[in-house]
Amino acid sequence: MLMCMSKLFSFLFDLQLYVRTLNMNMGDLSTDVGNNGYKQTKIKLGMRKPRKWKWMAFTNPARTDNATFYHWRRPSDEPKEYPFAKFNKKVDLPTYTDVEYQQHLKCEGWTKEETDHLMDLAQRFDLRFMIMADRYDTLKYPKRSVEDLKERYYKICGILAKIEEEQFLLGELKKIEARKKERERKTQDLQKLISQADNQNETPRKTDKKLPKKKITNPTRPSRIDTNAVESAGIKFPDYKNSGASLRSQRMKLPANVGQKKSKGIEQILQEMGLDLNPIPTEEICQHFNELRSDIVLLMELKTALGSCEYELQSLRHQYEAVNPGKTLSIPSQLLSISDNETKVNTAEIIDVVGSPGTPSNT
Amino acid sequence: MSLPTDFGPDSGGRMKGICIVKPIVYGNIARYFGKKREEDGHTHQWTVYVKPFNNEDMSSYVKKVHFKLHESYANQNRIVVKPPYEISETGWGEFEIVIKIYFHDPNERPVTMYHILKLFHSGGTQDIGMEQGKGLVSESYDEIVFQDPSQLMHHLLTNTTQLTLGRWEHNTNFEDKKEKTLKSVLETKQKIRSEIGILKNKLKLAKETISIFKEEIAKSQDSQSMITSYV
Repeated sequence: MLMCMSKLFSFLFDLQLYVRTLNMNMGDLSTDVGNNGYKQTKIKLGMRKPRKWKWMAFTNPARTDNATFYHWRRPSDEPKEYPFAKFNKKVDLPTYTDVEYQQHLKCEGWTKEETDHLMDLAQRFDLRFMIMADRYDTLKYPKRSVEDLKERYYKICGILAKIEEEQFLLGELKKIEARKKERERKTQDLQKLISQADNQNETPRKTDKKLPKKKITNPTRPSRIDTNAVESAGIKFPDYKNSGASLRSQRMKLPANVGQKKSKGIEQILQEMGLDLNPIPTEEICQHFNELRSDIVLLMELKTALGSCEYELQSLRHQYEAVNPGKTLSIPSQLLSISDNETKVNTAEIIDVVGSPGTPSNT
Repeated sequence: MSLPTDFGPDSGGRMKGICIVKPIVYGNIARYFGKKREEDGHTHQWTVYVKPFNNEDMSSYVKKVHFKLHESYANQNRIVVKPPYEISETGWGEFEIVIKIYFHDPNERPVTMYHILKLFHSGGTQDIGMEQGKGLVSESYDEIVFQDPSQLMHHLLTNTTQLTLGRWEHNTNFEDKKEKTLKSVLETKQKIRSEIGILKNKLKLAKETISIFKEEIAKSQDSQSMITSYV
């Protein structure tokens, strides 16, 4: 059937091309007359060199038998695929493995063989259920109505689609859990950071010395996290206990392990505060300036940590809303204005806020 | 100079726990000619210097000061062995001068400073009245810290004489600068600390809220699964 149709199409196509060419030539004629009246002595018919037509072989990629036929076409069109091949549409049928059939597709009144037969017919006749019912092997299997076939077929499709979706969701779930673990790891780091901050406030100069002891008292924590937090909490300036002569200003150089991002952040805050990046290096100023910059790094890290907490809160709220439609959880207002507070660093407001540490800083 | 000579072989031995600080001032002054000099295009006369912050003769412990000028100067490396440790030149451009101070005890490594020669006004320079018109000064304060000096060095550092009998002053009021800088550094530190405090409270609250949220979610999930199990 397909073969007859393609031949007919081929003929129609050629005919159409012919008519179109004819129309174009006629069009040339009429515009010439319209624009110039009858002044032009000769009609310029076919000023271009006529393109040749050639009787040539072609193959139809829609066919599987590689049959070769001939038709007229322009040699310049040669590389093009047979234009009607694209109309040979195939239906995309779902497939299943034996295991999948055993697990999900079993159905009373249908054997696997009969189901396979149904799918085979569906494939062969492109889901034309009328034809499928007509060609149904009624010797082997019971007689089925068109509706029966449709019901069985679409049920299979539905189950297979559901399985695919479930697998996709499982994948997503795994991703979410991985992210959750990552966040928990960060929270642990954060805990470390907070205790670090406590130490820093109580005994600012002894922080560095305390660290090795801490590692011993806290052997249960994975060491990786431990070192991470130690590195990230503030800046560790080298001890200038080495013998010899040196310049005081050298001690205010940031250690090499302070990254560019951090040092840029420090610079920015110092400038906002109106401080010199290289203040006059007395012993006292040197000490306080270094502690100040260490605190600034801690501050920046706390901000980042708070940012990720805020993110987690938001996502937890979404999670809650998804489980309980119409209900929500309220995030405390002082946790919502992180980005606002950031810009207020250099104002005196911070001091005011500290005056009453118990009260939240929402404005 | 009469030095005790019995330091002997252990003169390299260091006196642990002793720290001597010698504040210094280094920088340059410059004066504009008022016009470009015809023969070489030079516009300024300048002097780069290192001097003690306090009134004392540094030569008791400083062996020499090495000024490394721009390569376009004849004799780029200038060495001064006695006070005043300074080089005067003329020129038309600003550049970085490397200043290296060597000490009498070869066991003490020299210290190096970098100074940008200033001829034109910008941040950090200030006017000074110089004879023949206007001048500017750009100078920095630093401290040489001798940690665990050798016996020889300790002797040299602690036996200095006054440089002049008159008043010893600097173009820049460093005492005022120290005071103001310390004040603002401490204020800023206070601000940052209080901000850290606020952030810590917020973090605490955030973490508490996170655990509350988690509980709520767990609860509602439980009740959900109960409902579904009934159905």
